[in-house]
Amino acid sequence: MVQYNFKKITVVPNGKDLIDIILSRTQRQTPTVVHKGYAISRLRQFYMRKVKYTQQNFHEKLSAIIDEFPRLDDIHPFYGDLLHVLYNKDHYKLALGQVNTARNLISKIAKDYVKLLKYGDSLYRCKSLKVAALGRMCTVIKRISPSLAYLEQIRQHMARLPSIDPNTRTILICGYPNVGKSSFINKITRADVDVQPYAFTTKSLFVGHTDYKYLRYQVIDTPGILDRPFEDRNIIEMCSITALAHLRAAILFFLDISGSCGYSIAQQAALFHSIKSLFMNKPLIVVCNKTDLQPLEGISEEDMKLVMEMKAEAMKTVMGQGGEPANEEAVLVTMSTLTEDGVIAVKNAACERLLDQRVEIKMKSKKINDCLNRFHVAMPKPRDQKERPPCIPQAVLEARAKEAAEKERRKTEKDLENENGGAGVYSASLKKHYILANDEWKEDIMPEILDGHNVADFIDPDILLRLEELEREEGLRQAEEEDDDFEMDGEELNAEEKEALAEIRKKKSLLIQQHRIKKSTAESRSIVPRKFDKNNEFTSERMGRQLAALGLDPSLAINRARSRSLSRKGRKRERSSDNHGDAMDVDMDTPSKKLRARSRSLSLSRSRSRSRPPSEVTPGDGFKDSAQKVKAIKIAKKSVKKRNKDARKGEADRVIPSLKPKHLFSGKRSIGKTQRR
Amino acid sequence: MRLEKCWFCSSTIYPGHGIQFVRNDAKIFRFCRSKCHKNFKMKRNPRKVKWTKAYRRLHGKDMTQDSTFEFERKRNRPERYDRNLAETTLKAIKKITKVRVEREAKHHALRMKGKKAKDHKEAVKELEQSIHLVKAPAVFQQDPTLTLPKMQVKVSQKQSEENNAMEE
Repeated sequence: MVQYNFKKITVVPNGKDLIDIILSRTQRQTPTVVHKGYAISRLRQFYMRKVKYTQQNFHEKLSAIIDEFPRLDDIHPFYGDLLHVLYNKDHYKLALGQVNTARNLISKIAKDYVKLLKYGDSLYRCKSLKVAALGRMCTVIKRISPSLAYLEQIRQHMARLPSIDPNTRTILICGYPNVGKSSFINKITRADVDVQPYAFTTKSLFVGHTDYKYLRYQVIDTPGILDRPFEDRNIIEMCSITALAHLRAAILFFLDISGSCGYSIAQQAALFHSIKSLFMNKPLIVVCNKTDLQPLEGISEEDMKLVMEMKAEAMKTVMGQGGEPANEEAVLVTMSTLTEDGVIAVKNAACERLLDQRVEIKMKSKKINDCLNRFHVAMPKPRDQKERPPCIPQAVLEARAKEAAEKERRKTEKDLENENGGAGVYSASLKKHYILANDEWKEDIMPEILDGHNVADFIDPDILLRLEELEREEGLRQAEEEDDDFEMDGEELNAEEKEALAEIRKKKSLLIQQHRIKKSTAESRSIVPRKFDKNNEFTSERMGRQLAALGLDPSLAINRARSRSLSRKGRKRERSSDNHGDAMDVDMDTPSKKLRARSRSLSLSRSRSRSRPPSEVTPGDGFKDSAQKVKAIKIAKKSVKKRNKDARKGEADRVIPSLKPKHLFSGKRSIGKTQRR
Repeated sequence: MRLEKCWFCSSTIYPGHGIQFVRNDAKIFRFCRSKCHKNFKMKRNPRKVKWTKAYRRLHGKDMTQDSTFEFERKRNRPERYDRNLAETTLKAIKKITKVRVEREAKHHALRMKGKKAKDHKEAVKELEQSIHLVKAPAVFQQDPTLTLPKMQVKVSQKQSEENNAMEE
């Protein structure tokens, strides 16, 4: 059956598009190069190939269209009628017929031109023949392009038709517009049909699926039907009529007893009676909707009479099926889709009725025997009349009974929690069910840590024993200790010796320190030979102090040192004539002015330390003369002078190594203009 | 809650301190502070790092084997709670720590036992050898005791006076 393949019809191309497609394909897939110098057979073959190829493609495409579109006579009459209603059978058939004709025409054209091409004698002639052939084919297609457009539209619409299976269990909903059919289907299935206050909201059939007793039912929502003569009906209403006519379904005729749809009960009843011919042989249920606005009991006498008439009709359909005892509730039901009151009951009633009917029909059909073969439950033949119930041991029965009783009575933790304030307030005592030697200990908090040890590491049932052992050991050990407790209180240095030792150590450390200082600065400073005592460190006083610290009498040494000092002796013995006595008597008579001056200055220099002028060269400095020293001082000062940058560029400012690098000022650009560099 | 031992220095790690490192072979290394952690990352052997317990134990500075260590052992099977046992355990812990501390002190004392004699010997030798740094040999000949020279002569132009300081 083709009914579900409406979605799989290939797209019908536009006339122009079709031509373009085919011609471009011809150009791509057939050889393109030909010269007039080729052999004539080759030329003919070349162009014949093109013509044939084009014809084949057209044939394929048009055949596809013709095959895929359903033939209205071959499909289920429901779909046939539906398509007729929607698209007009005649137009449809005509369009397809035109496509067929086009196909045949194209075949004929190709045949003719191929025949002609067999006798083409030059490249040019062959070529013009081919051009003509292709041109004629394209004209044919151009002529049918309106049909192609129409078919495309139909295809699009068909693809969107609801996928209704005409053979399965179906429930059909019909009635006036706005009575609540779409709301109902929204309630019982997952379909999402538009529900609006204006009439003819639903414009086409909608399908939903629902379940009942493990079976799938499809529920079809129809557009509302007005009470009009058959010929005046529009397409939308014809859809629902078609569905009613062809589908073997349970029918739910919806009645709005509150009249809020805009039509009175009388009008609705009139409609009912006019289409009741369509309800032949179908389980019918009259559904009174919108009972929240107007309960069934509250309607007027006349309306009640009309409703009863409808019910009677419905009953007839019931009676017509095998004489079942009429359960009156299943024929006239009330419900309200707004309050969802009675909706499920309606669905169940409808499904039940439909199921019964289908089962009956199946039972009556010839295939029943095949079915019955599959439903056989084997029952063993009873041997005798003895009862053999299942055997349950007594203990199990008792246990079951007890468990049931206990379950009712037992108080759960959850109940306890709820009593004591709920989840956030009450925290269950986890220690409640502890099994301990003494129940008083249940809520004890044991410390886990003591003095930096884990208590759990010490826990041992024998700990007492071991502790006693330990203490015994300890006692023994202490006893032993006291035995050899005497301290070797041996010799000790007395206080003076200690003092001497301390001095020795101090001196030693001083020496070490000095050595280290000397060692570390030896590289950065010139080691001055002792004879150039620049800082006047080595004085006789110092010598005297040190000697005294050693316990010697320094006076002799000092005197000797003084007597041999330069200031007394003078640097050089003057070979002057006035060699007055001892050079020792310095204060009295100085032989010459020079000597005097020198000695005075020297004596002065001896007695106090004075600051020298910076340019004076002391012997240990390392300078040749004062000029050199002065220069050195100058250079040193300059090097630490702060540079005056005067807001000029500094090191931190970018340096451009080359102001006109070649790569920026020459060469062509790979893309773009070279208007500026 | 458990107090752990630092893998590097063996000190206790209290809750909220230190870092745990889990290696790919699922061995857990706990460190008490970043010092130990960094040392570990540098792949230093705690047995060679002077201030760790491992070193001290290995080199005999701290007590290694003792029966007081047997009391504290990681037990994997929990004992059922018993109040009396818990009480005795808590008391026992105190006693055991006391005993252990005493024994450690003993160990230390034993280790340091010969120090005084040795020091004394060294001091005497040093005195003998280096007395010349503080006492001139001439003075030493006259007064051969290993003490500082008695007379401290002041340096002056005038006659030296008898020292009146430092007489005991």
